[in-house]
Amino acid sequence: MRRLLLASLFAVACRPTADRPSAPSPAHRIVSLAPSSTELLFALGAGHQVVGRTTWCRYPPAALQVPDVGDGLNPNIEAIAARQPDLVVLYRSPMNETAAAQLRRLGIASVTLAQDRLEDIASAARDLGRRTGREAAGDSIAGAIEALLGKAPPAAIARLAFVVWDNPPMVIGAGSYLDQVATLAGGSNVFHDLGAASATVSIETIATRNPDVILVLSDSTALPSYSRRPEWRAIRAVREGRFIMLPADLFGRPSPTAPTAVAVLRRALEGLARR
Amino acid sequence: MRRWLGLVALVVVALATAVLLGPAHVPLGELASSDIVRTLRVPRAILALLVGGSLAVAGASLQALVRNPLADPFLLGLSGGAGLGAVLAIALRLSGPWALPLAAFAGALGAMALVYRLGLAGGGGRGAQLDPRVLLLAGVAVGAFAGAITTAIVSLAEATDLRNAFLWLWGGLSGASWQTVLVVAVYIPVPLVVLYAAARPLDLLALGEEPATHLGADVEPLKRRVYVAASLLTAVAVAVSGVIGFVGLIVPHIARLVWGHRHRALFPAAFLGGGALLLFADTAARVAVAPRELPVGIVTALVGVPLFALLLRRWAGGVARP
Repeated sequence: MRRLLLASLFAVACRPTADRPSAPSPAHRIVSLAPSSTELLFALGAGHQVVGRTTWCRYPPAALQVPDVGDGLNPNIEAIAARQPDLVVLYRSPMNETAAAQLRRLGIASVTLAQDRLEDIASAARDLGRRTGREAAGDSIAGAIEALLGKAPPAAIARLAFVVWDNPPMVIGAGSYLDQVATLAGGSNVFHDLGAASATVSIETIATRNPDVILVLSDSTALPSYSRRPEWRAIRAVREGRFIMLPADLFGRPSPTAPTAVAVLRRALEGLARR
Repeated sequence: MRRWLGLVALVVVALATAVLLGPAHVPLGELASSDIVRTLRVPRAILALLVGGSLAVAGASLQALVRNPLADPFLLGLSGGAGLGAVLAIALRLSGPWALPLAAFAGALGAMALVYRLGLAGGGGRGAQLDPRVLLLAGVAVGAFAGAITTAIVSLAEATDLRNAFLWLWGGLSGASWQTVLVVAVYIPVPLVVLYAAARPLDLLALGEEPATHLGADVEPLKRRVYVAASLLTAVAVAVSGVIGFVGLIVPHIARLVWGHRHRALFPAAFLGGGALLLFADTAARVAVAPRELPVGIVTALVGVPLFALLLRRWAGGVARP
Protein backbone atom coordinates (compact mmCIF):
# COMPACT_ATOMS: atom_id res chain seq x y z
CA MET A 1 0.00 0.00 0.00
CA ARG A 2 2.91 2.36 0.66
CA ARG A 3 4.15 2.50 -2.88
CA LEU A 4 0.89 3.95 -3.96
CA LEU A 5 0.79 7.12 -2.02
CA LEU A 6 3.36 8.98 -4.05
CA ALA A 7 1.07 10.10 -6.80
CA SER A 8 -1.19 11.73 -4.27
CA LEU A 9 1.48 13.62 -2.37
CA PHE A 10 1.70 16.85 -4.26
CA ALA A 11 -1.42 18.78 -5.01
CA VAL A 12 -0.45 21.08 -7.83
CA ALA A 13 -2.17 22.82 -10.66
CA CYS A 14 -3.15 20.63 -13.53
CA ARG A 15 -2.19 22.64 -16.61
CA PRO A 16 0.40 20.70 -18.59
CA THR A 17 3.49 22.68 -19.54
CA ALA A 18 5.53 21.78 -22.57
CA ASP A 19 9.18 22.70 -22.61
CA ARG A 20 8.99 22.91 -26.37
CA PRO A 21 5.97 23.42 -28.58
CA SER A 22 4.59 19.95 -29.24
CA ALA A 23 6.26 18.32 -32.20
CA PRO A 24 4.16 18.29 -35.35
CA SER A 25 4.90 14.61 -35.92
CA PRO A 26 3.85 12.06 -33.27
CA ALA A 27 6.46 10.89 -30.77
CA HIS A 28 7.71 7.38 -31.48
CA ARG A 29 10.22 6.84 -28.70
CA ILE A 30 8.72 7.87 -25.37
CA VAL A 31 10.27 7.55 -21.93
CA SER A 32 7.51 7.67 -19.31
CA LEU A 33 8.63 8.64 -15.82
CA ALA A 34 5.50 8.05 -13.76
CA PRO A 35 3.37 4.92 -13.24
CA SER A 36 0.19 6.79 -14.15
CA SER A 37 1.54 8.17 -17.44
CA THR A 38 2.90 4.71 -18.37
CA GLU A 39 -0.53 3.21 -17.73
CA LEU A 40 -2.15 6.02 -19.70
CA LEU A 41 0.17 5.54 -22.71
CA PHE A 42 -0.68 1.83 -22.82
CA ALA A 43 -4.37 2.64 -22.48
CA LEU A 44 -4.06 5.01 -25.45
CA GLY A 45 -2.69 2.12 -27.48
CA ALA A 46 0.75 3.76 -27.61
CA GLY A 47 2.43 1.05 -25.52
CA HIS A 48 4.75 0.02 -28.34
CA GLN A 49 6.02 3.63 -28.55
CA VAL A 50 7.19 3.51 -24.91
CA VAL A 51 10.93 2.79 -24.80
CA GLY A 52 11.61 3.54 -21.14
CA ARG A 53 9.75 3.42 -17.83
CA THR A 54 10.50 3.80 -14.10
CA THR A 55 11.19 0.89 -11.78
CA TRP A 56 7.72 1.46 -10.30
CA CYS A 57 5.77 1.28 -13.57
CA ARG A 58 4.40 -2.25 -13.27
CA TYR A 59 0.98 -1.84 -14.80
CA PRO A 60 -0.20 -3.00 -17.24
CA PRO A 61 1.88 -6.22 -17.17
CA ALA A 62 3.07 -5.47 -20.74
CA ALA A 63 4.89 -2.43 -19.33
CA LEU A 64 7.34 -4.78 -17.64
CA GLN A 65 8.77 -5.60 -21.10
CA VAL A 66 9.87 -1.95 -21.47
CA PRO A 67 13.45 -1.18 -20.32
CA ASP A 68 13.67 0.25 -16.80
CA VAL A 69 15.47 3.63 -16.50
CA GLY A 70 15.27 3.94 -12.70
CA ASP A 71 13.37 6.50 -10.62
CA GLY A 72 10.79 9.00 -11.80
CA LEU A 73 11.70 11.70 -9.26
CA ASN A 74 15.23 13.05 -9.75
CA PRO A 75 15.58 10.69 -12.71
CA ASN A 76 18.83 9.40 -14.15
CA ILE A 77 19.24 11.65 -17.23
CA GLU A 78 21.99 9.52 -18.74
CA ALA A 79 19.88 6.36 -18.60
CA ILE A 80 17.01 8.28 -20.21
CA ALA A 81 19.19 9.77 -22.96
CA ALA A 82 20.58 6.30 -23.72
CA ARG A 83 17.06 5.26 -24.78
CA GLN A 84 17.22 8.03 -27.45
CA PRO A 85 13.70 9.30 -26.75
CA ASP A 86 11.89 11.94 -28.77
CA LEU A 87 9.60 12.65 -25.80
CA VAL A 88 10.03 12.31 -22.04
CA VAL A 89 6.92 12.42 -19.83
CA LEU A 90 7.70 13.78 -16.37
CA TYR A 91 5.59 13.81 -13.22
CA ARG A 92 4.99 17.40 -12.14
CA SER A 93 7.02 18.01 -9.01
CA PRO A 94 9.58 20.66 -8.04
CA MET A 95 12.07 17.80 -7.81
CA ASN A 96 11.74 17.27 -11.57
CA GLU A 97 12.41 20.85 -12.72
CA THR A 98 16.16 20.24 -12.87
CA ALA A 99 15.57 17.10 -14.90
CA ALA A 100 13.43 18.99 -17.42
CA ALA A 101 16.15 21.65 -17.79
CA GLN A 102 18.84 19.01 -18.29
CA LEU A 103 16.77 17.24 -20.94
CA ARG A 104 16.23 20.57 -22.71
CA ARG A 105 20.00 21.11 -22.83
CA LEU A 106 20.34 17.69 -24.46
CA GLY A 107 17.73 18.67 -27.04
CA ILE A 108 15.21 16.13 -25.79
CA ALA A 109 11.58 17.27 -25.70
CA SER A 110 9.76 16.72 -22.44
CA VAL A 111 6.31 17.32 -21.04
CA THR A 112 5.52 17.75 -17.35
CA LEU A 113 2.09 16.47 -16.36
CA ALA A 114 0.25 16.76 -13.07
CA GLN A 115 -1.06 13.28 -12.28
CA ASP A 116 -2.65 13.70 -8.88
CA ARG A 117 -6.39 14.04 -9.46
CA LEU A 118 -8.89 12.36 -11.73
CA GLU A 119 -9.29 15.52 -13.85
CA ASP A 120 -5.50 15.47 -14.38
CA ILE A 121 -5.93 12.10 -16.11
CA ALA A 122 -8.48 13.59 -18.51
CA SER A 123 -6.20 16.46 -19.51
CA ALA A 124 -3.14 14.17 -19.61
CA ALA A 125 -5.05 11.75 -21.89
CA ARG A 126 -5.86 14.55 -24.37
CA ASP A 127 -2.30 15.89 -24.23
CA LEU A 128 -0.58 12.52 -24.67
CA GLY A 129 -3.17 11.46 -27.26
CA ARG A 130 -2.20 14.47 -29.37
CA ARG A 131 1.54 13.87 -28.91
CA THR A 132 1.31 10.18 -29.82
CA GLY A 133 -1.00 10.64 -32.80
CA ARG A 134 -3.90 8.97 -30.98
CA GLU A 135 -6.20 11.90 -30.49
CA ALA A 136 -9.39 9.85 -30.78
CA ALA A 137 -8.28 7.45 -28.04
CA GLY A 138 -7.22 10.40 -25.87
CA ASP A 139 -10.58 12.13 -26.33
CA SER A 140 -12.43 8.91 -25.53
CA ILE A 141 -10.53 8.35 -22.25
CA ALA A 142 -10.85 12.02 -21.30
CA GLY A 143 -14.56 11.94 -22.14
CA ALA A 144 -15.15 8.89 -19.92
CA ILE A 145 -13.35 10.52 -16.98
CA GLU A 146 -15.17 13.82 -17.50
CA ALA A 147 -18.52 12.02 -17.68
CA LEU A 148 -17.69 10.29 -14.40
CA LEU A 149 -16.78 13.58 -12.76
CA GLY A 150 -19.74 15.41 -14.32
CA LYS A 151 -22.37 13.20 -12.73
CA ALA A 152 -23.82 14.29 -9.41
CA PRO A 153 -22.30 11.96 -6.82
CA PRO A 154 -24.78 9.47 -5.28
CA ALA A 155 -26.03 9.93 -1.73
CA ALA A 156 -23.46 8.67 0.75
CA ILE A 157 -24.17 5.13 1.96
CA ALA A 158 -21.06 4.73 4.15
CA ARG A 159 -18.64 6.88 6.11
CA LEU A 160 -15.12 5.74 5.43
CA ALA A 161 -11.46 6.49 6.11
CA PHE A 162 -8.43 5.54 4.03
CA VAL A 163 -5.63 4.50 6.38
CA VAL A 164 -2.41 4.38 4.32
CA TRP A 165 0.13 4.01 7.14
CA ASP A 166 -0.12 2.97 10.77
CA ASN A 167 2.85 4.46 12.67
CA PRO A 168 2.40 7.39 12.56
CA PRO A 169 -1.21 6.96 11.41
CA MET A 170 -1.73 8.57 8.00
CA VAL A 171 -5.02 9.11 6.25
CA ILE A 172 -6.15 10.39 2.86
CA GLY A 173 -7.63 13.91 2.70
CA ALA A 174 -9.60 15.87 0.11
CA GLY A 175 -6.50 16.57 -2.01
CA SER A 176 -6.21 12.97 -3.18
CA TYR A 177 -7.89 11.27 -6.13
CA LEU A 178 -8.90 8.55 -3.64
CA ASP A 179 -11.20 11.05 -1.93
CA GLN A 180 -12.81 11.66 -5.36
CA VAL A 181 -13.18 7.92 -6.01
CA ALA A 182 -14.78 7.46 -2.58
CA THR A 183 -17.28 10.29 -3.14
CA LEU A 184 -18.23 9.00 -6.60
CA ALA A 185 -18.79 5.51 -5.17
CA GLY A 186 -21.19 6.78 -2.52
CA GLY A 187 -18.74 6.96 0.32
CA SER A 188 -18.09 9.92 2.53
CA ASN A 189 -14.46 10.36 3.55
CA VAL A 190 -14.47 11.34 7.25
CA PHE A 191 -11.21 13.24 6.60
CA HIS A 192 -12.61 15.22 3.66
CA ASP A 193 -12.04 18.41 5.72
CA LEU A 194 -8.26 17.93 5.41
CA GLY A 195 -7.19 19.74 2.28
CA ALA A 196 -3.94 17.83 1.87
CA ALA A 197 -3.70 14.60 -0.12
CA SER A 198 -2.56 12.79 3.00
CA ALA A 199 -1.95 13.75 6.60
CA THR A 200 -0.75 12.37 9.92
CA VAL A 201 -3.56 12.18 12.47
CA SER A 202 -3.89 10.53 15.86
CA ILE A 203 -5.72 7.26 16.44
CA GLU A 204 -7.95 9.24 18.80
CA THR A 205 -9.11 11.41 15.91
CA ILE A 206 -9.93 8.38 13.77
CA ALA A 207 -11.81 6.81 16.70
CA THR A 208 -13.80 10.01 17.26
CA ARG A 209 -14.74 10.41 13.62
CA ASN A 210 -15.82 6.79 13.83
CA PRO A 211 -15.89 5.68 10.17
CA ASP A 212 -18.13 2.72 9.25
CA VAL A 213 -15.28 1.12 7.35
CA ILE A 214 -11.53 1.47 6.85
CA LEU A 215 -10.13 1.36 3.34
CA VAL A 216 -6.64 -0.05 2.84
CA LEU A 217 -4.59 -0.12 -0.36
CA SER A 218 -3.39 -3.70 -0.41
CA ASP A 219 -3.27 -6.61 -2.83
CA SER A 220 -3.55 -9.03 0.05
CA THR A 221 -6.92 -9.98 1.53
CA ALA A 222 -5.37 -10.35 5.00
CA LEU A 223 -6.27 -7.63 7.46
CA PRO A 224 -3.42 -5.18 8.16
CA SER A 225 -1.23 -6.20 11.09
CA TYR A 226 -2.13 -3.14 13.15
CA SER A 227 -5.74 -4.36 13.29
CA ARG A 228 -4.62 -6.67 16.11
CA ARG A 229 -2.99 -3.91 18.15
CA PRO A 230 -4.96 -2.79 21.20
CA GLU A 231 -4.62 0.95 20.57
CA TRP A 232 -6.12 0.55 17.09
CA ARG A 233 -9.02 -1.42 18.53
CA ALA A 234 -10.27 1.82 20.07
CA ILE A 235 -11.67 2.42 16.57
CA ARG A 236 -15.01 0.68 16.15
CA ALA A 237 -14.45 -0.33 12.50
CA VAL A 238 -11.14 -1.98 13.47
CA ARG A 239 -12.75 -3.81 16.40
CA GLU A 240 -15.51 -5.08 14.16
CA GLY A 241 -13.09 -6.03 11.38
CA ARG A 242 -14.78 -3.71 8.88
CA PHE A 243 -12.02 -3.26 6.31
CA ILE A 244 -12.14 -3.05 2.51
CA MET A 245 -8.88 -3.99 0.78
CA LEU A 246 -8.34 -2.09 -2.46
CA PRO A 247 -6.07 -3.72 -5.07
CA ALA A 248 -3.13 -1.56 -6.16
CA ASP A 249 -3.64 -2.01 -9.92
CA LEU A 250 -7.04 -0.37 -9.75
CA PHE A 251 -6.71 2.10 -6.87
CA GLY A 252 -2.97 2.76 -6.62
CA ARG A 253 -2.90 5.86 -8.82
CA PRO A 254 -5.30 8.10 -10.70
CA SER A 255 -5.96 6.08 -13.81
CA PRO A 256 -8.15 5.75 -16.92
CA THR A 257 -9.75 2.77 -15.17
CA ALA A 258 -11.25 5.14 -12.55
CA PRO A 259 -14.85 4.29 -13.65
CA THR A 260 -14.11 0.61 -12.86
CA ALA A 261 -12.53 1.57 -9.54
CA VAL A 262 -15.62 3.57 -8.63
CA ALA A 263 -17.89 0.65 -9.56
CA VAL A 264 -15.78 -1.86 -7.57
CA LEU A 265 -15.78 0.35 -4.49
CA ARG A 266 -19.51 0.99 -4.90
CA ARG A 267 -20.20 -2.77 -4.83
CA ALA A 268 -17.98 -3.24 -1.78
CA LEU A 269 -19.75 -0.42 0.08
CA GLU A 270 -23.16 -1.87 -0.84
CA GLY A 271 -22.04 -5.28 0.40
CA LEU A 272 -21.00 -3.65 3.64
CA ALA A 273 -24.32 -1.85 4.01
CA ARG A 274 -26.14 -5.19 3.69
CA ARG A 275 -23.90 -6.89 6.25
CA MET B 1 12.12 20.41 49.32
CA ARG B 2 10.11 23.15 47.62
CA ARG B 3 11.92 22.38 44.38
CA TRP B 4 10.86 18.74 44.57
CA LEU B 5 7.26 19.60 45.36
CA GLY B 6 7.27 21.99 42.41
CA LEU B 7 8.64 19.30 40.10
CA VAL B 8 6.14 16.68 41.25
CA ALA B 9 3.34 19.22 40.82
CA LEU B 10 4.60 19.90 37.29
CA VAL B 11 4.46 16.19 36.46
CA VAL B 12 0.94 15.91 37.88
CA VAL B 13 -0.21 18.92 35.85
CA ALA B 14 1.45 17.46 32.74
CA LEU B 15 -0.27 14.10 33.26
CA ALA B 16 -3.63 15.75 33.88
CA THR B 17 -3.33 17.93 30.76
CA ALA B 18 -2.36 14.91 28.66
CA VAL B 19 -5.40 12.96 29.86
CA LEU B 20 -7.83 15.89 29.71
CA LEU B 21 -6.87 17.32 26.34
CA GLY B 22 -7.05 15.65 22.97
CA PRO B 23 -8.50 16.07 19.51
CA ALA B 24 -11.67 14.32 20.70
CA HIS B 25 -13.97 16.20 23.06
CA VAL B 26 -14.57 14.09 26.15
CA PRO B 27 -16.80 15.73 28.80
CA LEU B 28 -15.28 15.79 32.29
CA GLY B 29 -18.01 13.56 33.69
CA GLU B 30 -17.31 10.80 31.18
CA LEU B 31 -13.55 10.88 31.63
CA ALA B 32 -13.38 7.68 33.66
CA SER B 33 -15.72 5.70 31.45
CA SER B 34 -14.46 6.93 28.08
CA ASP B 35 -12.91 4.28 25.87
CA ILE B 36 -10.70 6.89 24.18
CA VAL B 37 -9.28 8.04 27.52
CA ARG B 38 -8.75 4.52 28.85
CA THR B 39 -7.25 2.80 25.79
CA LEU B 40 -5.51 5.75 24.11
CA ARG B 41 -4.83 8.79 26.27
CA VAL B 42 -3.83 7.21 29.58
CA PRO B 43 -1.35 4.64 28.17
CA ARG B 44 0.07 7.29 25.84
CA ALA B 45 0.56 9.70 28.76
CA ILE B 46 2.26 7.06 30.89
CA LEU B 47 4.49 6.04 27.98
CA ALA B 48 5.45 9.70 27.40
CA LEU B 49 6.40 10.01 31.08
CA LEU B 50 8.50 6.82 31.01
CA VAL B 51 10.19 7.56 27.67
CA GLY B 52 10.90 11.21 28.49
CA GLY B 53 12.28 10.22 31.88
CA SER B 54 14.45 7.46 30.41
CA LEU B 55 15.90 9.75 27.74
CA ALA B 56 16.72 12.46 30.28
CA VAL B 57 18.45 10.01 32.66
CA ALA B 58 20.34 8.40 29.76
CA GLY B 59 21.45 11.87 28.62
CA ALA B 60 22.52 12.92 32.13
CA SER B 61 24.58 9.77 32.64
CA LEU B 62 26.22 9.92 29.19
CA GLN B 63 27.13 13.58 29.71
CA ALA B 64 28.84 12.53 32.95
CA LEU B 65 30.50 9.52 31.33
CA VAL B 66 32.06 11.30 28.36
CA ARG B 67 32.41 14.55 30.36
CA ASN B 68 30.94 16.50 27.48
CA PRO B 69 27.90 18.79 27.81
CA LEU B 70 26.93 18.08 24.19
CA ALA B 71 26.39 14.37 24.76
CA ASP B 72 22.85 13.17 24.29
CA PRO B 73 21.37 9.67 24.17
CA PHE B 74 21.53 9.58 20.39
CA LEU B 75 25.08 10.84 19.98
CA LEU B 76 26.56 7.39 20.45
CA GLY B 77 25.15 5.90 17.25
CA LEU B 78 21.95 4.44 18.69
CA SER B 79 19.57 6.45 16.55
CA GLY B 80 21.49 5.41 13.43
CA GLY B 81 21.32 1.75 14.42
CA ALA B 82 17.65 1.93 15.36
CA GLY B 83 16.82 3.75 12.11
CA LEU B 84 18.63 1.10 10.09
CA GLY B 85 16.71 -1.64 11.92
CA ALA B 86 13.39 0.09 11.30
CA VAL B 87 14.07 0.80 7.63
CA LEU B 88 15.19 -2.81 7.10
CA ALA B 89 11.95 -4.02 8.69
CA ILE B 90 9.95 -1.80 6.31
CA ALA B 91 12.05 -2.68 3.24
CA LEU B 92 11.87 -6.42 3.95
CA ARG B 93 8.15 -6.02 4.63
CA LEU B 94 8.39 -7.76 7.98
CA SER B 95 4.87 -7.85 9.29
CA GLY B 96 3.36 -8.33 12.71
CA PRO B 97 2.42 -5.67 15.23
CA TRP B 98 5.83 -5.75 16.97
CA ALA B 99 8.11 -6.06 13.91
CA LEU B 100 9.10 -2.40 13.75
CA PRO B 101 9.91 -1.81 17.45
CA LEU B 102 11.79 -5.10 17.69
CA ALA B 103 13.84 -4.35 14.58
CA ALA B 104 14.64 -0.85 15.86
CA PHE B 105 15.61 -2.27 19.25
CA ALA B 106 17.87 -4.86 17.60
CA GLY B 107 19.46 -2.16 15.43
CA ALA B 108 20.12 0.03 18.46
CA LEU B 109 21.68 -2.87 20.37
CA GLY B 110 23.83 -3.75 17.34
CA ALA B 111 25.10 -0.18 17.15
CA MET B 112 25.70 -0.16 20.90
CA ALA B 113 27.77 -3.37 20.74
CA LEU B 114 29.83 -2.05 17.83
CA VAL B 115 30.48 1.34 19.47
CA TYR B 116 31.38 -0.39 22.74
CA ARG B 117 33.86 -2.68 20.99
CA LEU B 118 35.43 0.26 19.12
CA GLY B 119 35.48 2.33 22.31
CA LEU B 120 37.67 -0.22 24.07
CA ALA B 121 41.05 1.39 23.53
CA GLY B 122 43.80 -1.10 22.89
CA GLY B 123 41.60 -3.85 21.46
CA GLY B 124 39.22 -6.15 23.26
CA GLY B 125 41.75 -8.01 25.37
CA ARG B 126 42.16 -7.98 29.12
CA GLY B 127 43.02 -4.63 30.59
CA ALA B 128 41.42 -2.79 27.69
CA GLN B 129 40.00 0.55 28.79
CA LEU B 130 36.81 2.22 27.72
CA ASP B 131 38.05 5.58 26.51
CA PRO B 132 35.25 8.20 26.51
CA ARG B 133 36.86 10.18 23.68
CA VAL B 134 37.18 7.08 21.50
CA LEU B 135 33.62 6.16 22.50
CA LEU B 136 32.34 9.51 21.22
CA LEU B 137 34.20 9.19 17.92
CA ALA B 138 33.09 5.59 17.50
CA GLY B 139 29.51 6.62 18.19
CA VAL B 140 29.58 9.35 15.58
CA ALA B 141 31.26 7.03 13.05
CA VAL B 142 28.89 4.09 13.61
CA GLY B 143 25.90 6.46 13.51
CA ALA B 144 27.07 7.97 10.22
CA PHE B 145 27.75 4.53 8.75
CA ALA B 146 24.34 3.17 9.74
CA GLY B 147 22.79 6.38 8.41
CA ALA B 148 24.53 5.89 5.07
CA ILE B 149 23.28 2.31 4.75
CA THR B 150 19.78 3.51 5.72
CA THR B 151 19.85 6.21 3.05
CA ALA B 152 21.09 3.72 0.47
CA ILE B 153 18.23 1.33 1.24
CA VAL B 154 15.73 4.17 1.27
CA SER B 155 16.91 5.62 -2.04
CA LEU B 156 16.56 2.21 -3.68
CA ALA B 157 13.20 1.54 -2.07
CA GLU B 158 9.98 3.11 -3.20
CA ALA B 159 9.61 6.77 -2.42
CA THR B 160 6.70 6.46 -0.04
CA ASP B 161 8.45 3.81 2.03
CA LEU B 162 11.14 6.41 2.51
CA ARG B 163 8.73 9.07 3.63
CA ASN B 164 7.00 6.80 6.08
CA ALA B 165 10.24 5.39 7.50
CA PHE B 166 11.53 8.91 8.09
CA LEU B 167 8.26 9.99 9.63
CA TRP B 168 8.60 7.15 12.10
CA LEU B 169 12.20 8.16 12.82
CA TRP B 170 11.18 11.74 13.69
CA GLY B 171 9.49 10.29 16.70
CA GLY B 172 5.98 9.89 17.91
CA LEU B 173 4.02 8.13 20.59
CA SER B 174 1.11 6.98 18.43
CA GLY B 175 2.12 3.34 19.00
CA ALA B 176 1.31 3.60 22.71
CA SER B 177 -0.91 0.95 24.26
CA TRP B 178 -1.14 -0.73 27.65
CA GLN B 179 1.09 -3.49 26.21
CA THR B 180 3.89 -1.06 25.33
CA VAL B 181 3.52 0.63 28.72
CA LEU B 182 3.84 -2.76 30.42
CA VAL B 183 6.92 -3.75 28.40
CA VAL B 184 8.65 -0.42 29.11
CA ALA B 185 7.62 -0.37 32.78
CA VAL B 186 9.04 -3.85 33.33
CA TYR B 187 12.21 -3.11 31.38
CA ILE B 188 13.46 0.31 32.49
CA PRO B 189 13.78 -0.19 36.28
CA VAL B 190 16.87 -2.37 35.80
CA PRO B 191 19.02 0.18 33.91
CA LEU B 192 17.59 2.99 36.06
CA VAL B 193 18.65 1.23 39.27
CA VAL B 194 22.10 0.45 37.81
CA LEU B 195 22.56 4.15 36.99
CA TYR B 196 21.23 5.34 40.35
CA ALA B 197 23.64 2.99 42.11
CA ALA B 198 26.45 4.60 40.11
CA ALA B 199 25.42 8.12 41.17
CA ARG B 200 28.15 8.65 43.78
CA PRO B 201 31.06 7.30 41.65
CA LEU B 202 29.76 9.40 38.72
CA ASP B 203 30.12 12.50 40.93
CA LEU B 204 33.76 11.52 41.44
CA LEU B 205 34.27 10.83 37.73
CA ALA B 206 33.47 14.49 37.05
CA LEU B 207 36.80 15.32 38.70
CA GLY B 208 38.64 13.23 36.10
CA GLU B 209 39.43 9.52 35.88
CA GLU B 210 42.61 9.60 37.93
CA PRO B 211 41.27 11.65 40.86
CA ALA B 212 38.18 9.45 40.84
CA THR B 213 40.36 6.33 41.13
CA HIS B 214 42.30 7.91 44.01
CA LEU B 215 39.03 8.69 45.77
CA GLY B 216 38.04 5.04 45.60
CA ALA B 217 35.88 4.78 42.46
CA ASP B 218 36.32 1.61 40.43
CA VAL B 219 36.43 3.59 37.21
CA GLU B 220 36.66 0.91 34.48
CA PRO B 221 33.65 -1.21 35.51
CA LEU B 222 31.78 2.00 36.30
CA LYS B 223 32.20 3.38 32.78
CA ARG B 224 31.08 0.10 31.21
CA ARG B 225 28.04 -0.23 33.46
CA VAL B 226 26.96 3.35 32.81
CA TYR B 227 27.46 3.08 29.05
CA VAL B 228 25.50 -0.17 28.75
CA ALA B 229 22.68 0.93 31.07
CA ALA B 230 22.25 4.33 29.35
CA SER B 231 22.26 2.66 25.94
CA LEU B 232 19.67 0.07 27.00
CA LEU B 233 17.41 2.89 28.20
CA THR B 234 17.81 4.74 24.91
CA ALA B 235 17.26 1.59 22.87
CA VAL B 236 13.85 0.88 24.40
CA ALA B 237 12.86 4.54 24.05
CA VAL B 238 13.70 4.58 20.35
CA ALA B 239 11.98 1.22 19.83
CA VAL B 240 8.61 2.44 21.15
CA SER B 241 8.70 6.06 20.02
CA GLY B 242 11.40 6.70 17.40
CA VAL B 243 14.09 9.33 17.82
CA ILE B 244 12.83 12.09 20.13
CA GLY B 245 15.51 14.76 20.32
CA PHE B 246 16.35 17.47 22.84
CA VAL B 247 14.82 15.79 25.92
CA GLY B 248 18.04 13.89 26.65
CA LEU B 249 20.23 16.90 25.86
CA ILE B 250 18.40 19.78 27.50
CA VAL B 251 16.59 18.32 30.51
CA PRO B 252 19.81 17.15 32.24
CA HIS B 253 21.26 20.65 31.90
CA ILE B 254 18.12 22.28 33.25
CA ALA B 255 18.10 19.79 36.14
CA ARG B 256 21.77 20.55 36.83
CA LEU B 257 21.05 24.28 36.90
CA VAL B 258 18.37 23.78 39.54
CA TRP B 259 19.56 20.72 41.48
CA GLY B 260 23.32 20.95 41.09
CA HIS B 261 25.77 18.31 39.98
CA ARG B 262 25.12 15.53 42.51
CA HIS B 263 23.77 12.60 40.53
CA ARG B 264 21.76 11.19 43.42
CA ALA B 265 19.45 14.22 43.11
CA LEU B 266 20.11 14.86 39.44
CA PHE B 267 18.83 11.49 38.18
CA PRO B 268 15.36 11.64 39.79
CA ALA B 269 15.01 15.30 38.86
CA ALA B 270 15.99 14.60 35.26
CA PHE B 271 13.58 11.64 35.10
CA LEU B 272 10.61 13.70 36.30
CA GLY B 273 11.62 16.74 34.25
CA GLY B 274 12.10 14.70 31.08
CA GLY B 275 8.77 12.98 31.63
CA ALA B 276 6.99 16.32 32.15
CA LEU B 277 8.59 17.89 29.06
CA LEU B 278 7.65 14.97 26.82
CA LEU B 279 4.11 14.91 28.25
CA PHE B 280 3.60 18.60 27.48
CA ALA B 281 5.22 18.21 24.06
CA ASP B 282 3.07 15.21 23.14
CA THR B 283 -0.12 16.95 24.28
CA ALA B 284 0.81 19.92 22.12
CA ALA B 285 1.63 17.61 19.19
CA ARG B 286 -1.82 16.01 19.45
CA VAL B 287 -3.84 19.18 20.04
CA ALA B 288 -2.10 22.12 18.34
CA VAL B 289 -2.96 21.32 14.73
CA ALA B 290 -5.85 18.89 15.38
CA PRO B 291 -7.18 16.91 13.59
CA ARG B 292 -3.66 16.59 12.23
CA GLU B 293 -0.72 15.65 14.41
CA LEU B 294 2.87 16.96 14.60
CA PRO B 295 5.94 14.75 15.11
CA VAL B 296 6.62 15.09 18.84
CA GLY B 297 10.38 15.57 18.32
CA ILE B 298 9.66 18.89 16.63
CA VAL B 299 7.60 20.03 19.61
CA THR B 300 10.24 18.98 22.18
CA ALA B 301 12.68 21.22 20.32
CA LEU B 302 10.19 24.08 20.01
CA VAL B 303 9.34 23.90 23.73
CA GLY B 304 12.70 22.81 25.11
CA VAL B 305 15.09 25.18 23.38
CA PRO B 306 13.47 28.50 24.44
CA LEU B 307 13.05 27.16 27.99
CA PHE B 308 16.71 26.21 27.99
CA ALA B 309 17.78 29.59 26.62
CA LEU B 310 15.81 31.31 29.37
CA LEU B 311 17.52 29.27 32.08
CA LEU B 312 20.91 29.75 30.45
CA ARG B 313 20.49 33.51 30.81
CA ARG B 314 19.50 33.23 34.45
CA TRP B 315 22.26 30.84 35.44
CA ALA B 316 24.91 31.82 32.91
CA GLY B 317 27.97 29.64 33.25
CA GLY B 318 26.15 26.92 35.14
CA VAL B 319 26.35 24.38 32.34
CA ALA B 320 30.06 24.54 31.78
CA ARG B 321 30.79 21.45 33.86
CA PRO B 322 28.63 18.42 33.14
